[in-house]
Formats: sequence, C-alpha cells, structure tokens
Amino acid sequence: MIFLKLALKNLKRHRTRSLLALLGIATSVAVLFSILSFNKGFEEGLSRELERTGIHFMVVPSGCSHEVASLVLHGSIIPKFIDLSVMDKITAMNGIEFASPILVAQLPNTEKERVDLVYGIEMSRVRQLKPHWQLDGSVPKDDQEIILGSEIAGHLGLNPGDTLSYPNANSTFKVAAVIKKTGSQDDAFIYIPVKTAQRIFKKPSGATAIGVKVRDAAALTTITDQLSEKVPGIQIVTMNQVMNSISTLAASAKVLSLSIAIIAIIVSAVGVMNAMLMAVFERTQEIGMLRAIGASRFDIFRIILLEGMLLTISGGFAGIIVSVAGNDIIEIFVRKVMPYVPAGNMTHFDSGIAVVSLIFALFVGILSGLYPAWHASKVNPIEAIKG
Amino acid sequence: MIELIAAEKIYRRGSEELHALKGIDLDIGKGEFISIVGPSGAGKSSLLHILGCLDKPTKGTMKVDGVNVAHLSEKKLDEVRRKKIGFVFQQFYLMPGLSVFENVSLPMIFNKQNTDKKKIAELIRMVGLKDRSDHLPNQLSGGEMQRVAIARALVNNPEIVLADEPTGNLDSENSQKIFELLKSLHGIGYTIVMVTHNKDLASRADKCISIKDGRIL
Repeated sequence: MIFLKLALKNLKRHRTRSLLALLGIATSVAVLFSILSFNKGFEEGLSRELERTGIHFMVVPSGCSHEVASLVLHGSIIPKFIDLSVMDKITAMNGIEFASPILVAQLPNTEKERVDLVYGIEMSRVRQLKPHWQLDGSVPKDDQEIILGSEIAGHLGLNPGDTLSYPNANSTFKVAAVIKKTGSQDDAFIYIPVKTAQRIFKKPSGATAIGVKVRDAAALTTITDQLSEKVPGIQIVTMNQVMNSISTLAASAKVLSLSIAIIAIIVSAVGVMNAMLMAVFERTQEIGMLRAIGASRFDIFRIILLEGMLLTISGGFAGIIVSVAGNDIIEIFVRKVMPYVPAGNMTHFDSGIAVVSLIFALFVGILSGLYPAWHASKVNPIEAIKG
Repeated sequence: MIELIAAEKIYRRGSEELHALKGIDLDIGKGEFISIVGPSGAGKSSLLHILGCLDKPTKGTMKVDGVNVAHLSEKKLDEVRRKKIGFVFQQFYLMPGLSVFENVSLPMIFNKQNTDKKKIAELIRMVGLKDRSDHLPNQLSGGEMQRVAIARALVNNPEIVLADEPTGNLDSENSQKIFELLKSLHGIGYTIVMVTHNKDLASRADKCISIKDGRIL
C-alpha cells in the first residue's frame, strides 16, 4: 500500500511531465476505445437493421454489389432499371411469398429549391417490407397519397393531411402518414406508390429493384439458384451477402483505424518511458538512499513499475471519459466518412470494451515502465553517500 | 562487533587506479560512539560505504558480528544492511509526500515486517517529534527532518547507526541538538559511528578517528 502511495507521490512531484505523458496515453486510449466501441455498435446496428428488412433477397440489374448493398439498406439511386416482366417470372416460381418492385429516384422540388429523394414502394406491402415502421397516420390507399420520413417531414414542415406538390411532375400528393423517427436513412425519403413513381419517371414497367420474400427461408439457396438460371441479366443479392459485403468494408476500415490507434499508443508509450527514465535519473540519490535503508532491487523495480502502471491506467481512465464525452462528435464524423452506417447510436458505452482498453493501458504501462524500473533497480546504494 | 582488518579499497577510473583506502584496521565494539574526521578525499566516504555494507572492500576482511561479509553476494549484503545498520544522511533524504510516520516506517516495510505502529510512535516521541507524526517533510525544519531520519535509522533495531555528516546541513544550534540526540541514543546503548567535519563535535565522541590519504592516523 505504501508503495502505491510512494509511486503516486513520485508522479505528483513531476506534475507537468506526468500530465503530459498521461495526456499522450489518454489520447491513444480514447482512440482505441472509440474504435472498438464504434465497431461493436456498427456490427450490432448492422444485424439489427438487416433483421428489420422484411425481405430475403433483392433482384437488381447486374452490377456492383456494393451499390446494391447500399440500395438495400438505404435506397441509393442506381441509373439502371430492371424490367417488371422479371417479376412475373419470379412470382411464377414455387415457394415465393411475394415479390415487390422498388423504384428510387430524385425529384426536383421547385417550391423549396431542393431535390427530394423519392422511393416508390407498393403501399399494400408496406407493412411486410418495412415491419419496423411506426406510422403516424394511415397507409396510403390512393395513388396520390404518400408517406414521409420524419426528417423530410420536418424539413418540409408537413403533417399528415397536408399536401405536397411537384408542379414540373404535374403531381400533388396528400400526406397520409409520417414515419416516427427510425434513426436510419428511411427518415430522409418520400414514399410514394410505386405505380405513381413509374408514371412520374416515365418508366411504366421499370424498377430499381425487386424485393422478394420466400415462404421458407431454408429453401432460399435453391430458389435463388433456380432464379438466376431462368432469368438472364439480373443479379440476386441476399441479405447475407449484403451483410458480408458491408462487414468486409467495415473490417478494412477497422484494420486501418486500429493500426493508427496502435501507432498512437506506441508513441505515447515512448513518452511514458521517457518521462519515467528522466524521473529515475533525477532521483538517483534518493533511490540510492532507499537501497541503503533496506529496499531490495526488486522493491525499487516495483515502485518504478507501479508508477508507470499508475500513469497509464489513469491515462486510460481519462481517455475513456474523453471518448464517452466526445461520443456524438465521433459519431457525426464517422457518419460523414463511412459509406454506410446503420441506424441508432453506434458509440454507446460498453463496459467490456472499457475493461479491455484499461487492461491494454495497464499493459502499455508495464511495457514502458520495465526499462526505467530495471534502470532504477541498478542504482548503487553508495549514491546516497557521495563524499 | 564490526571489524575491519587490512581493508583496502581501489577504484578504477579508466586506466587510473585510485587507492581510496590503504589498509584500515578498525574495531568497533558494542555501545561505542566513534567519530571519524578527515579532509575531503581522505577516504571517509569509502570507509563509510564499507562499514555500512553498501560496498565491499577490494582487499581485506570486514566482519559484522564475526561473519566476514567481504565476499557476500549483493542480496546477502542487502540483508545484513537491512537488519543491522541504520543510516543517517547529510541531506536527510526523507521521501517527500510521505508523512513523518510513513517515512519512519519505510525500513520496516522493506524488511517485510508489519508496521509496528507502537514502536514507530515511540521512536518519533523519542526524537522529540511527538506532535508531528502526520506532518509532511516540507512542513518540518532541517533539524526536525534529521530527527525523523534518526528515528527511521532506528526502526529495525540496528546494531549500529552510521551517520554521514549528520549536522552538515544544519546551523550550529540545530547541530548541537542533533549531536545531543545521538549522544542520548548512545546513552541508552546504541552503537554510533559519525563522520563529520565539525572538529568540536567529533572531539566529544568516545573515540575520534582521524583519517588521511586512506589511512588511520
């Protein structure tokens, strides 16, 4: 116990130096903690989001699978269309519960001088396609009725019952419902009946994709195999593929960011080592005195090592606190730079990750304290009496 | 109790050899109060290192309680020092941040004993700092710090107390008081060896040894 106190008091004696070394450790642990937390949140969010989609696979024109992945999850605009004749072939197959076309496009809103994102969807299937939606209002029954995402509804200042017009598309819509905030990209879309979308965009039998749900998920592979044999020029993307595709992207981002964190940690460990070595050099006489009054080499080694550990573990704590406090900023940043981020809060506090980060900080403390501690343990006790 | 027979100490500095002690014979008996004086560079510190088991003689014998320690391993020497020798230094060397009580308890902890609170309190009382037990070193005067250092030197019941210029950093009034304290410890049976520049104090010890050029005069 007194060793701990001694180590703590020693750190306090070189306050500025200790604080600077601590700052370095805190920064790198904050980075590490944020990356690990975010990654966990990302993976959880991803599987949560995929569970929410009410379909098993998407049929799209052949193309880039990442593009498709992003379409499935948040509806991007792909300038290629699939012909609805494909849909008949799909529904004709055995084991299909339903197939439903989706048409995503941009529509200029001249009144507000912006471009709105329009998502054509079969209103009769909304409950099946988007089972997690909570609607304020009712599902549209008429082809001029629409559903608004919460964000766009807020932007346009619209509530259920209001109207929205697009003069250059010759359309006026009635808002039938507003979706309660989902935290995902669903919040940014205007959902209109797919038939209306096809008319406005002059693609009477076109769709961006066809979402398919099968009766028995176990038969999924058989069905997709048969389908790709029967219908040329299409690509089938299952939810698993989407998941894998995004996970791969996320994993490479993780590797990159973790390497940065590790470099930061190495740099800060060198900082700690330097601070401790300087402290040991300055205290040569005092260490000699401790040896003279009975401290063994191991006692000295322990005290110095403990100093390093105290320094890095408190740096670790500080880093985690900073990271938790700065959560929102990190999340905003990541949402900007990552091509896809699932809905919900990514960087919530996870005690397991906090413990791992602290253990890591402790480990860094031990590593960077070893050499200074060894050096200190070599101090000759005659240093205390220099004539 | 401590016996040096033909002890020599040679330091090597590059190719140069420095003969710090040139055959010292010294016998320190139990309960003696010995002062060692001599000009700087005479070998006082080297002698103190060897008497304090901080260093080993290059040649000759050094016996503590009849056991030759000149060839002991460093670890064994540590143990002899921890159990049998108490040090008082010129610069006091209290650990900043630790209270008087904690400073006094350090050698006990290094000796892997449980801190004997009663004994520590008694020692602090004995050196006249009864009400300062919880004070930090920076709240004490030089004389008081040296008193703490003396209590610390006594905490493991050493056979001998080695004081290296214990009054070197003190004014004459405090020097007197510290000397009186050492003298009173001698009075209750402690063996004390004091290295000093202060000829007046040195002459008041039981035995005064002058050393010059590595030899006892």
